[in-house]
Amino acid sequence: MHPTISYLKNKNLLWQANHTQPTANGQHTGFKELDNALQGGFPEYGVIDIRSQIGIGELRLLLPSILTRQQDRRTELVTLIAPPMCINSEMLAEFGFALDQVMVVQPLLNKQVLWSAEQSLKSGCCHSVILWHVSLSVTQVKRLQLAAEKGHCLLFIIRQPRQEHISLPVTLGIRLSPSKVGIRAQITKRKGNWSNNSFDVYMGAYWPELSQLEDTNVLAFPSRTSRAG
Amino acid sequence: MCWHFPLAHRARDKPLSTYIMQNIWLYLYFPNLQLDALLQQNPDSYIHTQAYVILDEQTNQICQLNRIAHQAGIRLNMGLGTAAMLKADLQVIPYQQEITKNRLNDIAQSLYLVTSDICFFNDNSLLLRVHNMLNLYGNLASYWQVVQRQLSLQQVRFHYATGHSPLAARLLAITAWDQVIDNLDVIKKAIQNTALQHTDLTTKAVKKLQRVGIHTIQALLNIPLAEIAKRFDIEVATYIGKITSQINHPVSFFHPKKSFDRFIELLYDIENIQVLQAPLNQLLQSLEQFLKTRDLLTQTLVFTLSQRDEKSIELNIHSQQGEYLAKYWAVLISLKLEKITLSAPVFAIRLIVENTYIRTPDETDLFAGKQGRLSRLQLISLLQAKLGEEAVSTPTLSNDYRPEQVIQNSKRLTKAIPPFKLYALRPSFLLTLPQRLQEKVFITYGPERISTGWWDAKPITRDYFIARSQLGQWYWIFKTPKGDWYLHGVFS
Repeated sequence: MHPTISYLKNKNLLWQANHTQPTANGQHTGFKELDNALQGGFPEYGVIDIRSQIGIGELRLLLPSILTRQQDRRTELVTLIAPPMCINSEMLAEFGFALDQVMVVQPLLNKQVLWSAEQSLKSGCCHSVILWHVSLSVTQVKRLQLAAEKGHCLLFIIRQPRQEHISLPVTLGIRLSPSKVGIRAQITKRKGNWSNNSFDVYMGAYWPELSQLEDTNVLAFPSRTSRAG
Repeated sequence: MCWHFPLAHRARDKPLSTYIMQNIWLYLYFPNLQLDALLQQNPDSYIHTQAYVILDEQTNQICQLNRIAHQAGIRLNMGLGTAAMLKADLQVIPYQQEITKNRLNDIAQSLYLVTSDICFFNDNSLLLRVHNMLNLYGNLASYWQVVQRQLSLQQVRFHYATGHSPLAARLLAITAWDQVIDNLDVIKKAIQNTALQHTDLTTKAVKKLQRVGIHTIQALLNIPLAEIAKRFDIEVATYIGKITSQINHPVSFFHPKKSFDRFIELLYDIENIQVLQAPLNQLLQSLEQFLKTRDLLTQTLVFTLSQRDEKSIELNIHSQQGEYLAKYWAVLISLKLEKITLSAPVFAIRLIVENTYIRTPDETDLFAGKQGRLSRLQLISLLQAKLGEEAVSTPTLSNDYRPEQVIQNSKRLTKAIPPFKLYALRPSFLLTLPQRLQEKVFITYGPERISTGWWDAKPITRDYFIARSQLGQWYWIFKTPKGDWYLHGVFS
């Protein structure tokens, strides 16, 4: 082997496709299809970039895994930073969250959003952070990644789906789109692996009312006939 | 055997033993308290190479001076004019009783850890009752060693002397005798040679005595006390009586305060927030020392930054978790300082800490593996210091059927509420105010009627539905009795 190559390999700067190790993603997401696609589940800690419309089930997709994390690490917090609307505590409590373990941070300035996220991540007293944010640069993501590793924390960034040319150094990238059975997901980026197919995640097990099988007769609104039927 | 603890106050009763214990008092005289405080604040400024004096503005006399000023020939009680002629670049600072008093109080606080009976004398001296401490320390030498070590922490110049009465010790200390001895004869000899000018007698009385040829204490002591009382003022008689401990000298002892209150005067006016950090840190260090020795914690610091010709700024710094460490407070302060602007230079800082409580050990599991650097309360304090208290909240519930009323946000982390029935199928996000439904949606579930609140000002009657928009978003919508449709939440 060329000495430069072996040097780079020793420095862990070179990656070879046949050296892919099955990353131990022990954290089950609570959804069978997603677990299969991720070969286990979400990573233990890191940054997960989620591109999604608002209101299609993007938050509900994360709740089962965050709940598991909360039950595993009872003294730690889940932090919600800059949610776009008022978080409904009734829903969280009903799903099984202990509300005193939930912290909502609503900074006024854009700059403070990332600062709060970094502080929460590296504090070591948060197991998960969900961040709603618009744009991120590579350096910002790197900082967040380091902070997440330091505090053993999982950061979910939920952003609007826009075309961006730069690839962010996140642990996992997921693109979400609406689906009748639950949500349609596509893994866009994953450390040490890749897959391009999109798949449907069935959410009926948790929320039967928010999941429709393809052939149910949907009542059109507001036509009078449908209401009668 | 009788034990005396240094922190316990004893009544002034005589020991039960048969021999009468010899009274010993230790007098500590701090001639340069205000100047020393300045030096301590600015350890590396050029103040050490320049002549500094403190001027008493009432008498227009110099009351404190540093070594350089002394070398230039300036002496105590010299007029400002004379002093200025002796040294052209003399730096003059007005005397402030407040600073001296505060400093003396700090010294007393620190001495209280090793000796019990301390009393203040003349704003610049401390008197310690030694004889009842000797049971604990064994002999005078080891007692003095402990006191000396405690004093060396304070970085202050002082003169000291022991005496068999408070005034005798005072007289010797003022003349810089600087000896700690319990031999009565040596002390008496030293007193006898002292000139009358150093005593606490008024200049008028001293002149009167000099006119009849009495120049030293010894000459005065040769006259019997009754004679002195007859020939001179009663003031002279009491003084001599007190010095020779023929007349009892009542003193009131110091009791340390529970709260921390410190005022520092800055040598220079500070306009820059960054520069302000250094004196603030110094205050925090002394607070840490104060709290640590008492094993206390506090949650609130109140800083008052006095601005020249402007209203002073009050800085309240809160920590959700009780803290004593200076480095932890420094982080919170720097976040708080980012938000304030100084309209005028700051010339003094005061730190008051009112409420303290006893520290209880943290309940952290040694075997839990990863140990967080911060506790959750520390994280919340950190976020609140930067973003403001309103920005950080924790969701809570109240027992109500109205969706707007159920959710509430509390600023502090609250304990779990008693459980009541929660309804499934509630959206993750609620709009602060319901909005008119603008788009075409498909109803997938419903209705669920909520008709309640007739007893107060906000009654509602609504039929809630879950609907799916054409873009695939899940909405929580309702219909009013009038037939209007509103969007109230989103199932994110």
